[in-house]
Amino acid sequence: MMKKLLAILLVLCLAVGILAGCGGGSSSGASSGSSASSGGSAAAPAKKTFVFGDTTFNAENEEPDINPHYAYSGWPCIRYGVGETLMKIADDGTLQPWLAESAVNVNETTWEIVIRDNVCFSNGKKVDAAAVKACFEHLIEVHERARDNLKIDSMEADGQKLTIVTSEPNPILMNYLSEAYGCIIDMEVGIPENGCVVGTGPYVATEVVTDDHVSLVKNVNYWDGEVHIDEITVRTISDGDTLAMALQSGEINAAYGMAYGSYPLFENDNYTFTSIQTSRCFWGMANLHEENPGYAIMSDPAVRKAIAMGIDKEGFVNVLLNGYGYPATGAFPDSFAFGQGVKTVSFDPAEAKAVLEAAGWVDTDGDGIREKNGQKLSIRWLTYPSRQELPLLAESAQATLKEIGMDVQINCTKDHNSIRKDPTAWDVWFSANVNAGLGDPANFFDTYCLDSSIKNSGGHHSDKLEELAVQLRGTFDPDERARIAVEMQQELLDDNSYVFCSFLRMSMIMQKGVTGLEAHTCDFYELTADLDIA
Amino acid sequence: MNGTVTVRVQKIKRNTIKARLIFFLALAAILLLITLYADRLAPYDPYAQDLSKSMLAPSAEHWMGTDRYGRDMFSRVLVGAQTSVFSTLALVAAISVFGTVVGTLCGYYGGALDSIVMRISDVCLAFPGLVFALAIAALLGGGVSNAVLALAVISWPKYARVARSQTLALKSSDFMAAARLSGSNSMQMILRHILPNSLGPILVTAMLDIGTMMMELAGLSFLGLGAQPPTAEWGNMMSGGRSMLQTYPWLVLSPGFAIFVTVVIFNLLGDTVRDYMDPKNSRAQ
Repeated sequence: MMKKLLAILLVLCLAVGILAGCGGGSSSGASSGSSASSGGSAAAPAKKTFVFGDTTFNAENEEPDINPHYAYSGWPCIRYGVGETLMKIADDGTLQPWLAESAVNVNETTWEIVIRDNVCFSNGKKVDAAAVKACFEHLIEVHERARDNLKIDSMEADGQKLTIVTSEPNPILMNYLSEAYGCIIDMEVGIPENGCVVGTGPYVATEVVTDDHVSLVKNVNYWDGEVHIDEITVRTISDGDTLAMALQSGEINAAYGMAYGSYPLFENDNYTFTSIQTSRCFWGMANLHEENPGYAIMSDPAVRKAIAMGIDKEGFVNVLLNGYGYPATGAFPDSFAFGQGVKTVSFDPAEAKAVLEAAGWVDTDGDGIREKNGQKLSIRWLTYPSRQELPLLAESAQATLKEIGMDVQINCTKDHNSIRKDPTAWDVWFSANVNAGLGDPANFFDTYCLDSSIKNSGGHHSDKLEELAVQLRGTFDPDERARIAVEMQQELLDDNSYVFCSFLRMSMIMQKGVTGLEAHTCDFYELTADLDIA
Repeated sequence: MNGTVTVRVQKIKRNTIKARLIFFLALAAILLLITLYADRLAPYDPYAQDLSKSMLAPSAEHWMGTDRYGRDMFSRVLVGAQTSVFSTLALVAAISVFGTVVGTLCGYYGGALDSIVMRISDVCLAFPGLVFALAIAALLGGGVSNAVLALAVISWPKYARVARSQTLALKSSDFMAAARLSGSNSMQMILRHILPNSLGPILVTAMLDIGTMMMELAGLSFLGLGAQPPTAEWGNMMSGGRSMLQTYPWLVLSPGFAIFVTVVIFNLLGDTVRDYMDPKNSRAQ
C-alpha cells in the first residue's frame, strides 16, 4: 500500500514538473527589449536593449572573434555593426559609397578613393586616408586571402584621398574592399587582446567571448545618424532547438539561422520574418587528388556526372528547405548577368544509372551498390552541421544516390576545415558559401577553382579555366566579365567536378516590434543604426 | 496453525510471481519475435525517400506518420528495433559473460591477477558511466558497434564484482572443501560448483541491465555518437526529430514510445526474475 502511495506521489511530482517546465514564463530572461531602468528616479531615460541569436558566429566557421584581419572574423564585425567598409554592396549587386565618397579608376592599376570627411572611429578619432592606409597595410600583411584578392602594390595617403596602386589590373578592387575583411578599424588601437577592435559602425564591442557572445553598446560618435539601441548582446546559439526556444521564451529578440522545421512556430502575428534571395549556394567539389584512396572513383567522369544527376535539387529546396531557396544550375543565381545561360545535367536517376552502367560500374554481388575492378562505388561525403541545410542535403543525396547504386558515407563534422585539407580523407566536400556576395563572379573562382585558390581543396585543374581566369582578371567591362564568368562556370559544369545544388532564401525571424532588421542579398549587413525595438 | 498460514501465503505469492514471470517472458518473446521479423512486418522500406510524403501526420496509411524525408516512421521504428534491441542484448550478453569469467577467475585464484584486474575495474567505476562512454565513443568515432564497445568498456566491472564476491563466498564453503577432497581440479570446481551457484545474481543483474543499457545506447545515438544517419535506430531517430518536437511531435514520440515500452518490459521482467530467484519467496518449495 505504502509503495503504491509513493508511486502515485512520484508520478504527481513528475506531472507537476513537466507542466511547470512547459509553462510560459514570458517574464523571464532578457525578453523585454526596451526597458526602463528599474527603481530610482522616474526621470531616468529608458534603456533599449536587444538580444540577437545567431547559429553561425563560431570558431567552426572561422569566425572566433570580430577581428576583420583574421580568416572570416570580418563577417561578425560587419554583420553586428562594428565595422564598415569603403563601399557597400546593394541588393542588386552594385557598389554604393559608404565610408568612401567616391572611388575612381584612374588607370588599369591605379585607384583614387576619397574618404568621407565626417567619418570617425567609435573612439572619436577622425578617419582619414592615412588611417585607412594603415588598416589595409596590416590587412595585407596578415590576411593571405585578402592579399591575393587585392593585389595592392603601394598606397599613398593625402588628407582624405587614398591612392592605391595594384601590382596588376584588378577590376574589382573596390568589390574586394567591400568584403568583410575590408572593415576599417583603428590601427592605432590595433587588435586588442580582448578582440574588441575599434571600427566606425553604429555599435562598439565591449566583450567578445568565442563561441558564446559579443556585447555591444551604442556608438555615441556614430557618423551616419542616430543609433536607437543602447546595448546589444549577440549570442552564439549553434543548436537550432535552443535558438527556437530562446526566441519563443523571449530570451532573444531576433534570430538568424532558425531550423526550417521550427518555422511554423513563428508564422503568426507575434513574429516578423525578413527574407531575401541570396547567392549563398549549397555546393560540392570533388576530390581529384591522386593520393586520395577514392581517386579511381572520383576521377571517373561518369561517376561525377552520376552524382550531379543523382541529387534531387528541387526536392531539397521545396521540401527540406520549406521552399526557402531555389535550385541552382551554376555557381551564381540567374538574377546576375554572370549567372545566366549556363547548362548542366538535371535530376535523372534512370539516366544516371545508364551513365554508370556504360562506364562499367555494375552491381555484381546484388547488394545494391555497384562495383568496378573490385572496387565498390562508395564515396565519402564531407560536410558540416553549422549550416543546418548541409546535413539535410547530405542525407537526401545519400538516399537518392543509393537508388542509382552509389553508397554515400557521410562525415558531418565541425572539423571539416581541417579534414578538407587532408586529400586522403574525403571524396566530396559540400559547403555553403555566398558566391556572389561582392556582386562579381571573380571571388568565387579565385577562392575555390584555380591552381592558386586557397580553398581548391579538391585539387581541381583545368588549363582552359586558368586561361579564362587570366582574361577575367584583366577585363574591366562588366558585360565581358559576365561572358567570361559564364564560360568558366560552364567549364566547371561540363566536368562535373563542382555540383551546385541550391541557393538560399535567407531569413531572419524577430519579435513583433523589432524594426530595421533586414535581410540583404550579400548577407553582410544585419545590425545597423536603423535597428529599433518598440 | 500460524506456520501453515505463512506457508500458504508464500505459496500464493510464489504463484503470482510465476504468473508474472510467464506474462513478462511472453511479452519479451513477442517483442523479440517482432524485432526478428521487423523487415517483413514493416509496411514500407524504412530507408526509401519520398519527399512528396514529407512530414505526414499519423494516419491509417502511415500509423506513426512520416519523417522529413517522407520515410514511414512505423517501418523505421520496427526496423530500428533490430539495431536497438539486438545491440543491447549483444552488449549485455558480452559484458555479463566477460565480467563473470574475469570476476570468477579473480575470485578463485586471487593474487596479482585479482589485484590488477580489480584496480582496472576501479578505474572504470571511478568515472560517471555515460561520461566515460561518451569519451570512449568520441575517441572511436560514430557507429553502433563503437557505441556498444564504449558501453562494454564501462559496464563489465559490475559483473566482475558480483561474480568475484560470489566466488569468494562459495570458495570458503564446506561443499567446496568436500569437492576439493574428492579430487576435483580447479576447472571442474569453477565449472561444476562455482558458476552454477553464482549465476542467479548475475542473471538478475543482466536482466535489470537491459533497460539501462538500451537507454544508454539510445542516449549515445541521440548525442550523435552511436548509430549514424540514415540508420534506423531509436535514439538517432529521436535526435533527428527533436528540432520538430513542437511542430511534428510524432517524429520524437514514435521512437520515444518504442524505447519506453521496450525498457518497461525488460525492467519488469528483470524485477520479476529477481523476485522469482529471491530465496525469501522460494521457501514454500
